[in-house]
Order: sequence, then structure tokens, then C-alpha cells
Amino acid sequence: MITNSVFLMYLAGSLIGLLAGFLMHRSDYCVAGMFRDIFLFRNISMLRYLAIQVIATMVLFEICRTLGLLPLYPFPLLGFASAANIIGGFIFGVGMVMAGGCVVGTLYKMGAGSVISAVAFVGLIVGSAIYAELHPLWAPFVKATTFFQPAKTLPELLGINPVLVLSPVVAVSIIIFIKWHKENQIIRQSEAKGYIQPWKTAVAIALLGVLSYVLVGMPLGITTTYAKIAAMLETLLIPEHVGTVNFFQLTPLNVTHPATGALLQGGAGPQLDSIWAIQFPLIAGIVLGSTFSALLLGEFAIQYRVPLAQVFMALSGGLLLGVASRMAPACNVWHLMGGLPILALQSLLFILGLLPGAWVGSKIVACVILGTRQEKTKQ
Amino acid sequence: MMSDQKIPENIDIDMRGQVCPATLLVAMDKLNKHRDAIKKGLEELCIKTDNREAITTIPTTARNMGYSVNVTQMDSFYQIVVRNFTPESKK
Repeated sequence: MITNSVFLMYLAGSLIGLLAGFLMHRSDYCVAGMFRDIFLFRNISMLRYLAIQVIATMVLFEICRTLGLLPLYPFPLLGFASAANIIGGFIFGVGMVMAGGCVVGTLYKMGAGSVISAVAFVGLIVGSAIYAELHPLWAPFVKATTFFQPAKTLPELLGINPVLVLSPVVAVSIIIFIKWHKENQIIRQSEAKGYIQPWKTAVAIALLGVLSYVLVGMPLGITTTYAKIAAMLETLLIPEHVGTVNFFQLTPLNVTHPATGALLQGGAGPQLDSIWAIQFPLIAGIVLGSTFSALLLGEFAIQYRVPLAQVFMALSGGLLLGVASRMAPACNVWHLMGGLPILALQSLLFILGLLPGAWVGSKIVACVILGTRQEKTKQ
Repeated sequence: MMSDQKIPENIDIDMRGQVCPATLLVAMDKLNKHRDAIKKGLEELCIKTDNREAITTIPTTARNMGYSVNVTQMDSFYQIVVRNFTPESKK
């Protein structure tokens, strides 16, 4: 809808990011934590909100599609299912739990002053750079294990109208949500200042995701830009090398938006293209939105004194996230908040890998934390 | 009951800046290890944290375990005190 104006794309991305970052900080809307806590604390209280968000997105996407607001359906950059989705999802699951946040959680936590998350962010960029070198080895595997072509979503695979598949899913989910509501599982008591009920954040991010899809032709996604930042840094440091890295020359996004006629083109290379225009404002917005929220609450603080083992764990987690985001390809936000609502096959496989990955991650995190905590006992 | 004459000893844990879910994990670990002393009013668990999720989960979990919990916002962090539940400590 606004794809013919780079300025409007920047503006929309920044505003969506600012709002998302602000809300995520207030509700501590941590997707990595939602999956981790299934295994670590046998607790699904936060996962419920993700379910609400996914179903809300599903309904909104489908309404927009029916109204003709989503001429690019399924959205660009969504590929065919392959074994890479499961493997990437698994590594991603381990990484996000070790990093203490997924690719978005890391941003809002870093925005509020977390040194651990800033370290994870560095890991994410470096991990993306490492993947770029490994791409020639990984790409043939992806190609060899691709299946269900040419279907990209479950309704396409079944050859039926999405409404027929999505309606029963939505109906069952709503019954479950009503049950949660009756059991008082939706409202959380919190003594954190300025706490925003996570169900509100869930619904708001669903709306922001739909807004993004309608406005720029794609749901929320950010990880290609992590690889792009890696490419930009390499251009500063080792410019002659960047030209030889095949991954940085690819343009996986190459589509004309039917509504505006604008050519959306881009990839992980160091150039400022459509991917940058769509994703970078979102990244910056999430960080700053969270900083703004933390400052307003008087909670912004940078704590350097953190256990070294946790710093290493966050760095390793970030590296795994960076590599896995490109292996999968794409991140949990893209798959959970964009792909799952249209029952994309890639996304379903990604989640299949993500769950055991989060389980492994939760084992590691418990060992590292309980083995190395800093404690001071005084009178 | 028996704790009136004694000032409870503090178990201080400073979890500021630590990775999620360190605060909840360590707090639960401490509550389990010091359960008897805290229940007798001999010790109190005092947690410094900047983790908003922990400020939400620890009070709920500890109250469900029968403790009394106080949350205070300090400078840029929160202090959570978990002690044994007595009629006076309510609210």
C-alpha cells in the first residue's frame, strides 16, 4: 500500500517497532521464555498469549485476504518446506533459550539496558556472518530435502480454500480461550510498575503484524537485516571479501507489489534495499520503544556486573540464533506471527524443531545459572 | 510464633542484569533449600532484580507456597522480600 514510498516505509516500520518494543517491555513479552518455561517450570501461562496472538493474526490475515488487501499471498520470502526448517528450528530453539531472548526479545531487553542481551545481539550479527560463509554447503541440502512443492501452505497442499482449514482451527481455539477466561487464566497479577496485561500486547502485536502485511506486503520479520548488518560491517573491514561471498549477492526478495507496482527487491548484501527499508526501522523502533518505556518507569539501568558464564552463554546463544535464522530460514517471529497464521508448511516444521530445541536450551540454562550464580550472604 | 524475639537473618541475592530466567530459578532454589528456616521466621529471602517477569512470577509463586511477599520499587530495580506468613505480615 505504501511500497512506492521509501519514506513511508521507514515511517511505518519505525512506528510499528516503537509500539511493539514499548508493549513488549511492559508485558515482558518474551517468546523464548514462553517456550522455555513449558520445560523449565512446567508453566504455559505466557504461552497462552502467544496462542491468542497467533489466532488473532490468523483471523485478521484471513479477513484482509478475503477483502483483497493481501495481493501477495502467501507473502514473499516464504519458501517451500524442507528438512532445513526442522533443523534450523531446533538450533534456533536452543539458541533463543541460551541467549535469554529470541531475535526480538534480545532487542527489547537490550533497549532496556540489558548487557547480556547486547552480547547476544553481537552474537546474532556474528552468527549471521558465519552462516554467509557456510551457505554454499547448506544450500544444496535445503534443495535436496525440499518437499510438497509447489504448495507453501497447508491449504495449498490440501488444495482447498484457506477458510475451510482455518475456520475449525479458530473455532476450537476460541473455545479453549473461553475456558481459560472462565478459569481466570488470562489476567495476570503483577506488581511491576506500568504492567500491561500480556493479552493486550498479544492483540496489539497481531494488529501490527497485519498492518505490516497490508502496508509493505510482508508480516513482521527482521533477521535478514542481521545478516545485512554483518555484510555492512564486513564491507568496512574486509571489503574485497564481501564480493566473494555468494550469500551476499543473492536477492531472495524480488517481487512487484501488485497494488502499487513498486518493485520490492533485496537480500542480505550490504546495499540499502527494500529488505533494509522494511526491517531496519522495525529493529531500531523495537530497541528505542523499549528504552522509552524503561526510562518512563525509571527502570533503565545498565548492569555490567553479570556472571561471566552467563555472558558466554548469551554469546553462544546469539551465535546459534544468527546461524539458525538463516538455516531455517527466518526466525520465530516470522514463523510464529506470520507463517503459522496462514499455516505455512515451513513454519509448521520450524515449530516442530523449535520445541525440542527449547527443551535442550532449558536444560543448559538451568545448569549454567544454578552452577554459577553470584550470591552474597550477609547478616 | 516463636520468632518474635529473633531478628530474621537475610538471605540476599542480587540478580540485577542476569539472564532470564535466573531470578526465578535462583529464588526457587533458595526457597527450597531454606524452607525450614524461612517457615520458622529465622530467615528471610531478599531478592534484588530488574526482571519484570520475575516481579510478576515470584510473588504469585511464593504466595502459593504459603509465604508472605513484599515488593518495593527501589532506584532502578525492585526488591522482593519473601518471609514466613503470619497474620500480621498479611498485606
